[in-house]
Amino acid sequence: MPGTSTVQDIELIVEKKPSNGGGGDLPPVDRDGGGDDGKRPRRGKPSPKRYYTGMALGIVSILMFFMALASAFLVRRGSGDWVPVHIPMLMWINTLVLLTSSATLEISRNRLAKGQLDGYKNLWLVTTVLGVLFLIGQVVAWRMLAAQGIYLASNPASSFFYIFTGAHALHLLGGVAALLYVAKRNFDEAQITRSVAAEVTSHYWHFMDALWLFLLALLYLGK
Amino acid sequence: MVTYDDGSPHSAPASLWGRYVFALHHKTIGLQYLWLALASVLVGMVLSTLLRVQSSWPDTAIPFLTNLQHTPERYAAIRLLHGSLMVFFVLTAAPQLGFGNYLLPLQIGASEMAFPTLNMVSLWTTVASLGGITASFFTAPETGVNVWLASAALFSLGALLSALNFTVTTIDLRTEGMTLPRLPVTVWAWFLNAILSMLIFSVLLAGCASLLSDRLLGSQFFSFASFLAAQPQNLVRQGSLPVLWQRLFWYFAQAEVYVAMLPCFGIITHLVATFSRKPVWKERLVVLALCGVGLMGFCVWGYHMFATGMNPYAPLVFAVLASSLGVPAAFLLASWLGTLWDARLQLSCALLFSIGFVSLFIAGGLSGIFLARHDLRSAAVSEDFVIGHFHLVMGVAATFAILAALFFWFPKMFGSRLNETLGKVHFWATFAGVYLIFMPMHWLGLLTQSNLLPDASRANLAAAGGPIRTLVTVATIGTVAAQILFVVNFLQAFLRRGTLQGNNPWRATTLEWSVPSPAPFNNFGAGKPTVYRGAYEFHTGEGNDFAPQHLAPELLAQQYR
Repeated sequence: MPGTSTVQDIELIVEKKPSNGGGGDLPPVDRDGGGDDGKRPRRGKPSPKRYYTGMALGIVSILMFFMALASAFLVRRGSGDWVPVHIPMLMWINTLVLLTSSATLEISRNRLAKGQLDGYKNLWLVTTVLGVLFLIGQVVAWRMLAAQGIYLASNPASSFFYIFTGAHALHLLGGVAALLYVAKRNFDEAQITRSVAAEVTSHYWHFMDALWLFLLALLYLGK
Repeated sequence: MVTYDDGSPHSAPASLWGRYVFALHHKTIGLQYLWLALASVLVGMVLSTLLRVQSSWPDTAIPFLTNLQHTPERYAAIRLLHGSLMVFFVLTAAPQLGFGNYLLPLQIGASEMAFPTLNMVSLWTTVASLGGITASFFTAPETGVNVWLASAALFSLGALLSALNFTVTTIDLRTEGMTLPRLPVTVWAWFLNAILSMLIFSVLLAGCASLLSDRLLGSQFFSFASFLAAQPQNLVRQGSLPVLWQRLFWYFAQAEVYVAMLPCFGIITHLVATFSRKPVWKERLVVLALCGVGLMGFCVWGYHMFATGMNPYAPLVFAVLASSLGVPAAFLLASWLGTLWDARLQLSCALLFSIGFVSLFIAGGLSGIFLARHDLRSAAVSEDFVIGHFHLVMGVAATFAILAALFFWFPKMFGSRLNETLGKVHFWATFAGVYLIFMPMHWLGLLTQSNLLPDASRANLAAAGGPIRTLVTVATIGTVAAQILFVVNFLQAFLRRGTLQGNNPWRATTLEWSVPSPAPFNNFGAGKPTVYRGAYEFHTGEGNDFAPQHLAPELLAQQYR
């Protein structure tokens, strides 16, 4: 069917819009373009299992990344030039903000499950805002440390402090992007349903939350 | 409206852009990886010839590199480029990412990988990394190291993303009836290797990021001074860049040994069974041995990385590495020989290269025993021995597996066959060539650093090494020249693509042969295949030569009545 392949091509781009910033918003596809001509039966959405598996494995990978750094941290701590970094007070407050965001995310998904779309949307937004607040808080905390003269290059302990908090912030930024993506995306024609997308995103978000607690404990106890 | 079976479109995108550059389809991406590997292997071979010529006849004027002997950094840089191209873009990319991407969905009865966009992203990350590694060669050494590190980080990222894709695809996208025991051993190998890659490359990524931050931002994760202090004095030259480059490379290559070999084991097991027309001998044990390779690979390497805080300047643990492969490798070897035993072999090029792999693996593995004894190694052998060892067991053996796979799956990919006669000439030339190169290298290694002998006799022995060195260089030039046969064969078959008669030239059992060759864009069409039996059912019933996985029992009975 040469007539339909161009349309499929466009649809392919729209459908598989890369989440890493490839393309931006494309105009809606013309529905009468001959694709849905009844010749090919339209199946139901494919099993969402792959998204759960993918996220679980992704989490394992990210965990390995941080475990590698943590092992380097523990080994390096034994060397003589270690000057402990004191965690700024603000980071503890940030922690509370992040924990709250996990709670609002769960409540939001609960609303979605009950079909209360407005409640879901509002709480999803609250979660996103809390995530952004956490990130702003982290940046402010870094600036406070810098004001005390503690930079990335100051000593091994400060190097690790910045790479742990920095790498976590970068991963959380990805989480915020995912939250926004799920909020904005039109799920009518997607391969994935809204509740699956919300659940998979929530797995990542809670993992980031737990990871932060682990890193905080490591930095606090290991200084 | 796009219609979905399991999320993939039914025809190829019409635009060139969508079809080639940002292709999402697993077969296209697999071939793109293979083209990448082909380009890298050709450049890498030329570089190795340059290195040999330089070491045998230092006065020869080599284009671009005439001042080699005055700058050890340049020599180290060529070695690094040769090593990186071969290890990253040939040994890692071809068996896993190239053949894996093309064949894994076909062999499990899926029409696409689980996350096609992610697959495209990892391909282009790998391409960017290739660009960076090549660029690092042309920049000044100080910047070069940074560019190389950033590229290695990119490669790790790409490898992570595709490993995720492979794992999810194998877990969730298997067709009906494709239970785990029925998986072809190739799929097992790709799957296990993907799991191993996910663990290893995260650690490498973390290492790259911290090392890069040390060098660019002045952080203090690894201190450079402590590394220099730990080096033997004769190795430390001019800011020790050559040593640094060598170490950096081995830091990655240690992990890569496992990542490159695992899929090769799968491919060889698959081909040996198909051409012996016999089931894989002790198939369950083979799968367990593959798990063992993966597990040990991660434990040994991971232990090293975690125990030294991922410090790439920490001493090599070649010793542990070599001995850890021993037990599972012996299992695999037993199974290959057990399958070949008393079989009516079909000596096609694919089987010849597979047997070549087994031979090289045994030869290289034996010298590994010497390296596994760390005390013995530092006392009795030098670098040449190590180079000879790992080139046989890893580099050349894996290349033979890649060639075997290419001869076997070329009809599936392009719909024509490589010429068997030309292929056999190419095989024997290469087989003799690599032994002529790497066996004398072991001898050289023993000659030049026999610390057990008094100084005078050692000097005599070292002088005796001259002719051997020349022999190695001449053999290298000859073997590289013999690859022209392969290029000719490849081009000839490629130009005849699409002319194959029938779908299944090797009378193989797995699902990829149940569809036309070359495989259609949507693999299995609208319906999905159902799998009725294991992957290696040859001569199981009366008068039946082989039982394809997708053929229902009643249809099979009709066929062989």
